[in-house]
Amino acid sequence: MAYSIRDQTAIVGIGQSEFGRFLPDSQLRLGANALKAALDDAGLTRADVDGVAIHLGWPLGVDYDRVAETYGLDLRWVSQTWLHGRFVTSAIQQAAMAVACGLANVVACVTAISFTRERQILGGPGDAEGTREDGGTHGESPPYGLTAPAGGAALAMQRYMALYGATSAELAAVPIAFRKHALKSPHAVMKKPLTLAEHQASRMVVDPLRLYDCCLITDGAAVVLVASAERARDLKQAPVYIAGMQGMRSGRDEFIFAPRGLGINQQPAMRSRPDERDLAVYRMAGIDRKDVAGLYTYDAFSPVVLFVLERFGFCGPGEAASWVQNGRIELGGELPMNTSGGLLSEAHVGGWNSILEIVRQLRGAAGERQIANARHLQWGTAWGDSVIFRSSR
Amino acid sequence: MSEHTKPLPRITPDNQPFWDALREGELVLPYCAACGKPHLPPGPVCPFCFADRLEWRAASGRGTVSTWTVVHKEWFPAFAAEIPYNVVQVEFEEGPRLTAKVVGLANDWLRVGLPVVIDFDETREGITLPRFRPAP
Repeated sequence: MAYSIRDQTAIVGIGQSEFGRFLPDSQLRLGANALKAALDDAGLTRADVDGVAIHLGWPLGVDYDRVAETYGLDLRWVSQTWLHGRFVTSAIQQAAMAVACGLANVVACVTAISFTRERQILGGPGDAEGTREDGGTHGESPPYGLTAPAGGAALAMQRYMALYGATSAELAAVPIAFRKHALKSPHAVMKKPLTLAEHQASRMVVDPLRLYDCCLITDGAAVVLVASAERARDLKQAPVYIAGMQGMRSGRDEFIFAPRGLGINQQPAMRSRPDERDLAVYRMAGIDRKDVAGLYTYDAFSPVVLFVLERFGFCGPGEAASWVQNGRIELGGELPMNTSGGLLSEAHVGGWNSILEIVRQLRGAAGERQIANARHLQWGTAWGDSVIFRSSR
Repeated sequence: MSEHTKPLPRITPDNQPFWDALREGELVLPYCAACGKPHLPPGPVCPFCFADRLEWRAASGRGTVSTWTVVHKEWFPAFAAEIPYNVVQVEFEEGPRLTAKVVGLANDWLRVGLPVVIDFDETREGITLPRFRPAP
């Protein structure tokens, strides 16, 4: 039998900077604040960190060597992904694998980003990613003026609406739910409730996505410390075990912002329910989907929240828009999602604000947002990767 | 890249025949000499059977809109004057899909399944940009 990484590693510390818009601090300053907070949280020192996994590196965020040099770290393992939100899972997985394989003792997953200061590179002429050969990887087509990731989410949602009769008003349930959660998060940038009428009256950005279907552009940093489960049990906080994982899917059947078979780009137009391979994360964690007390996802645009529900079989193909109605994904509902507000309403810290929230929840430290008896929480994305976290409480 | 000029397609050794044919007012697709399937975007090998030998063959230019969007936000200054403008994906009768735009139709009439036919009337710096019109 193959080696299993189930429960071999854990998150032992979390930290963050202030989240906000047009913060005066540099990205490296924000990152230093988050790293100090994470070390303090874990009861570790800077000298204990011998690995770093950077998400959102060049051309927007901080690079590993500047991080190591600036913070005086002495590293023996590093990993870095370039500017894409999609690599949250990759960073956590690489950190866990590095620890489990003995390449590092404590890995700091560092994300530090000043989107408001660097916003000219997002979708405009300075966006090297969106304007590269054959366009970017979200369906961008620069010669026709489709130059930002939102365009890819719009292409997917438009076809989804045509196939299943889903509406913008149904889609609004996603940002409205996450706004309710954000109002309970002291770190959230958005401070006022969002109504259906406000959502429907908000300006169209890229049809059918309205303003409130698109995530925030904010500044902030988050650090997550990963160590072995054995080490974790001797540290300050109750460990949050990395119980199961599965990687990102890629191929001609895939488009980053669509479920398999939707028919975007070169995807075959043939939907199906998830199979064993799509659901490997539950097997590795040794749980059933129904054991998941909450689902957290990279909510760059509200459609991908629908798509992740179908990707992991919480509902069938074409059912998600009606499935999310009536508070089902809100705190107190059947499957609370992004309980601190996500990218849509708390802050865009590359998704790591939701990882911090998962850890708080599984420590029983989420205050008025606490999901009662949360033992397993799932991080999963519309592009198919996932991590299941297990509480040690 | 200047913010006042519209981006051009990137022409590579793999897609050169596609763009050369468009300049002559013809649509061609790369067909696999082994399994016979066409694909887009043009690659160096057949993505279905991984064979090396591809044959460029004329295609119908007819298809249907498989999805679409209308851009209302100015991301790229060179497109500002055209807001709101559409971007569509068209599924050719032969199977592969191409991203482009539809002309000769108000954006309100865009829909998935709309039959369209290719048009070679727009050029940018000597490159013909494929676009589509509603099928007659």
